[in-house]
Amino acid sequence: MKKVLSLILVLALALACSFALAEDASYRVAYIARAQADSFAAWLANAVKEEADKYPDITVDVFDGQANDETENSLIENAITNQYDCIIIQPNNGEAQRPYAEQVVAAGIVCITTNARIDGVEGASSVDADPYEQAAVNARLALEMVPENATAVILRGPAGNFHADKRYEAWQTEFFEKRPDVKVVGDDYANWNKDEAMALMEDWVTANEQPIGLIASMNDNMAAGALEVVKDNPDYANVLTFGVDGTAEACLLIQEGRMTATCLQNAYELAELLLDTAHKLLTGEETEINTDVGNPLYTKDNVQELYDIHVQAGALE
Amino acid sequence: MQAKRSKANLWETLKSKYAIFLVLVVLFVICSLLNKNFLTWNNLTNISRQISVTTILAFGETLLIISGLLDLSNSSVLAFAGTLSVMAYKANGSMLLAILVSIAVAVFCNALNALMTTTFKAPAFIVTLAMQTMARGAALLLTAGQNVYQIGDYTILGQGSVWIIPTPILFMIFFFLVTRYILNDTRFGRSLYAIGGNEAAANASGIAVNKVKTGAYLINGVMVGMAAVLFMSRVNAGLPNGAQGYETEALTTAIIGGTSFTGGIGTAGGTIVGAFIIGFLNNIMNLTSVNSYLQQIIKGLIIALAVIYDIYAKNKRTRKKMGNIEDKQQAA
Repeated sequence: MKKVLSLILVLALALACSFALAEDASYRVAYIARAQADSFAAWLANAVKEEADKYPDITVDVFDGQANDETENSLIENAITNQYDCIIIQPNNGEAQRPYAEQVVAAGIVCITTNARIDGVEGASSVDADPYEQAAVNARLALEMVPENATAVILRGPAGNFHADKRYEAWQTEFFEKRPDVKVVGDDYANWNKDEAMALMEDWVTANEQPIGLIASMNDNMAAGALEVVKDNPDYANVLTFGVDGTAEACLLIQEGRMTATCLQNAYELAELLLDTAHKLLTGEETEINTDVGNPLYTKDNVQELYDIHVQAGALE
Repeated sequence: MQAKRSKANLWETLKSKYAIFLVLVVLFVICSLLNKNFLTWNNLTNISRQISVTTILAFGETLLIISGLLDLSNSSVLAFAGTLSVMAYKANGSMLLAILVSIAVAVFCNALNALMTTTFKAPAFIVTLAMQTMARGAALLLTAGQNVYQIGDYTILGQGSVWIIPTPILFMIFFFLVTRYILNDTRFGRSLYAIGGNEAAANASGIAVNKVKTGAYLINGVMVGMAAVLFMSRVNAGLPNGAQGYETEALTTAIIGGTSFTGGIGTAGGTIVGAFIIGFLNNIMNLTSVNSYLQQIIKGLIIALAVIYDIYAKNKRTRKKMGNIEDKQQAA
């Protein structure tokens, strides 16, 4: 039995390898995704694959870092060993991946870091969206909209996550330090998750007699979870809710007038820039590129543009 | 004098037999004193609703642990079955079909778990760990890692109420009764205890061990399938990466409730008590705005203390029983 199983496994492996070798293109690009279970990371990985189809001389292989530094670093090492022409790293934790990004450059392979960039890797390029600015555009709008002496809750991403920390820092600097009248009655980690945000919001609503006036969420998923809790509560008809990512769900909530704003982290734009950057570096047109996508803020005034993006992508009907 | 002694005996019995229930009562009283909002109807239904999905998973886990098995795949199977169920609902509009899809997928995954543990004698820990990875991968592959939105009236089960009781709580009570019935009133339930207590002895006494183990996994599948529908309808989306870590919560719930990790011991009542202990703890710390880092430390500490107290009380009871037997033997 064991022999048969081993034989089947060896044959399957050989078959998989032969398929991989059969694919022929001038440039092989390894895209090391942070975590395919993270909906934004998965969106970006899919967008990169789609964008790569526009380049006949580029083949992209996507690898899943599983939100684990050790796994992600091993994947980068494997890609170096496998002699890819270009390695795009979407770090799980920039500092943990830094030495490996340096190894990519040292091996003479084109290295691009993205979402978020790893600063200061000599010889590497980067394409990114600025997480501080993504939250800051929300916080600046909130400065004008949040009434005096309002209460607020903050929904954080995972502790130690670069994007989560930067967005939180932006809210503190751009809003809470400037508005000492706003009282924070809840500040906790919902780890990007809608269900965790729901449980927190249920408890916060119970604990506070005065309706919460502001939900500052570090992503749209958690903002949507908080809004799910208060959707039938008339005391919360005017709660101001801000998120980041520009997900399809946030788009619908803004259209319905339930969510205030979201900053789009446009995976398509990132993917477009990534492939363009990779192509320019691989063909020798450029030697180093560092560029950013924009941080467009969507409110009920311009949400139709966001809706069109999602309809075009097939995320909304 | 005798009345005093019988009162003391009653207290001793309560302490030893229902130690974990006492922990819950003490916790309930403390929480009520700490925050005036704790004892409101809204808050108590909030807690019950929040724990309903993990408690249903924990009932399945209880059946498995009692028989010496376990399931580490329930959270991923929940995500896979739930996402497929949402997609079926969007395509067809039938809630019944959506529920059936979810249950069928979860039962199928659990049938595979059962096949691997019974036919191939693979350890349940490894088998269900493998299923955890496969099911999560399948959910992500199915949706390309994206959440499924615009699910319409699918939310009715997770967000609806019957009179003033939220539907997920009713499902939790239903599965509590089912688990209690299985464990207390059926031959299958007694076989689970027998297998978990001593598999070789159970086999020798004529119990069809593999059939019983398969049955436990299939029942677990039904519970996971229903929990999946409740979870997705509560969050108003199909989340392929949802319910992460729920397998640990379900295991913790069962263990706190007195289910022995070595098998052969456990009750449905204990599991629901375990669920409420965790629910009360999470809730009161949020109501009183305890720092989130500190919350984790306190939660871990109280859980450890509750379990240690439960074990201490049980050991004391066993020692007392043994002492009584020795006394009787000496008297004879």
